[in-house]
Amino acid sequence: MRAFAFSDSALDLAALRSTVEDRSCGGYVSFEGWVRDHNDGQQVERLEYEAFELLAVKEGERIIEEAVRRFGVTQARCIHRVGLLELGQVAVWVGVSSPHRGEAFAACRYIIDEVKHRVPIWKKEYYVSGNSGWVNCERCASAAHDHDNDHDHDHDHDHDHDQKSVTRHPEGLPASDYSRQQVLAEVGPHGQARIRGARVLVIGAGGLGVPVLSYLAGAGVGTLGIMDGDTLDASNLHRQTLYALQDTGRPKALLAAERLRALNPEVDVRPYVENASRQNLSGIAAGYDVIVDCSDNFTARFLVNDVAVTLGKPAVLASVYQYEGQLQVVTANSACLRCLWPEGTADGTVGNCAQAGVLGPVPGVLGSLQALEVLKVILDIDSPARSSVILVDLRTLESQHLTTKRATNCPAHCLNALQSESGADDDIGISITLPTSDWIVVDVREPNEVAAQPLPGPSVHIPLGQLLDHPEKLADNSKYLCVCARGKRALAASKALRLAGRDAVYLIGGYPG
Amino acid sequence: MTNIRIQYYALLREQAGMSRETVQTNAADAAALYEELRQRHSFSLSKSQLRVAINGEFADWESALSDGQDVVFIPPVAGG
Repeated sequence: MRAFAFSDSALDLAALRSTVEDRSCGGYVSFEGWVRDHNDGQQVERLEYEAFELLAVKEGERIIEEAVRRFGVTQARCIHRVGLLELGQVAVWVGVSSPHRGEAFAACRYIIDEVKHRVPIWKKEYYVSGNSGWVNCERCASAAHDHDNDHDHDHDHDHDHDQKSVTRHPEGLPASDYSRQQVLAEVGPHGQARIRGARVLVIGAGGLGVPVLSYLAGAGVGTLGIMDGDTLDASNLHRQTLYALQDTGRPKALLAAERLRALNPEVDVRPYVENASRQNLSGIAAGYDVIVDCSDNFTARFLVNDVAVTLGKPAVLASVYQYEGQLQVVTANSACLRCLWPEGTADGTVGNCAQAGVLGPVPGVLGSLQALEVLKVILDIDSPARSSVILVDLRTLESQHLTTKRATNCPAHCLNALQSESGADDDIGISITLPTSDWIVVDVREPNEVAAQPLPGPSVHIPLGQLLDHPEKLADNSKYLCVCARGKRALAASKALRLAGRDAVYLIGGYPG
Repeated sequence: MTNIRIQYYALLREQAGMSRETVQTNAADAAALYEELRQRHSFSLSKSQLRVAINGEFADWESALSDGQDVVFIPPVAGG
């Protein structure tokens, strides 16, 4: 059963409740929306709901996903009625179960608010007076004119308003038109089909992310993922012009999603209200074709690079400093960020936008270049940014291409090569039986693996990701034996340690072997 | 003595107070050249935090210098 669905018959509330029952849960919260007998001074007799189901179900499921991720509830569902409804009938039901009540209340509230706001559903009211009128959904209404209240469907029903509602019906909108880009020989109908089939994940919806997202949505990229855990701050607006002052405090991923859907309803926009981390990025990025780094810190930049290399997906990287920017496209054959900076760079080394200052158009230019590079990747148009780092100085309007080469000892590529090849270069591998007193044992497995199968004897636990970020943190006067479950991650770790000047080997075959 | 044209980016440009300069140096390689400039301009970054490019290509710090080369020092940047 889908997490969000429409029903054209009366809702069986007991049956619906049973679908979210869960033995691990201590709380269940539900919301029922009823057909009431009046609206804005008119006596209502009955209602009719109509939905643009294809779009609405997707959007509804997205809302449920967001609620589950955001509040950590166990079960969540929402069913909305379509068709004719009599007074007192249930028009919409939301059910949420969770170990504790707090999250269940919050998630239930979030779901109904977002459904009302974002899902394209229209309501026709039949009045006792014999008249009737379509009341558009909040999503379309807020695009049509400003609301100064948060009452549900409290609209005027004069003729003018109804006309507006009609023009805002998605089926009444003009179709998205890509004719200006399709004139280009490199695009055409074939290229447009490629753009439509593309799935692009954008990390960061800030100064770089805003132009990237806007141009890609405008171009008709089929699926756009937006990952950003931050909320909008007034200080963002001089360079993040997709947003408005009244939006401050709201999550940027959700705001961007709202604006992009209005810009081009054909795009499947997927907001992730979370920052990229080692725990979440691989899983999310696996569902996309191109990854765009629009983050504002080194940790995220290197993480995006490593994940893209590991998954074998092209990545478009950019960053800015005051009046300057750097642009680099990482593809299967090109150098990556770690080929240039194998050990990564610690945050705080070089100032960010808040510390060093930035004029709004600078990330605007670099973000626009990123959007362009993404389209080149999708359309298979060659670019110098795949074999060079492009440095742009926007004060002097000079740019420079600095040719890059794939580094033979790049930790990101070492890790990647080992995931596709079973053979290992064994000059740094040893086979022994643990425990050992000759080496300091470095366990590079994830915490859950260590907990499930701890190593015998003393060891230092540093998950691979952390070790690749800072191999220099291990003292340089000891010998290290890196260990993981099968040997691949340990090999990458020992290579990174050697690159940092440490004496390191890895355990062939891993532990327990 | 070799004449080297130097270009600075980001934090280095800020700390040097200029984007370009031409220097006469006895430095044998890029590492020695950076060390010389670091002392002159009080750069806060060590060479391990930078990359160097010579004549438009990323190069090793051990690369020998010759007269008339263009050298660029690039710090990583992360603003977005």
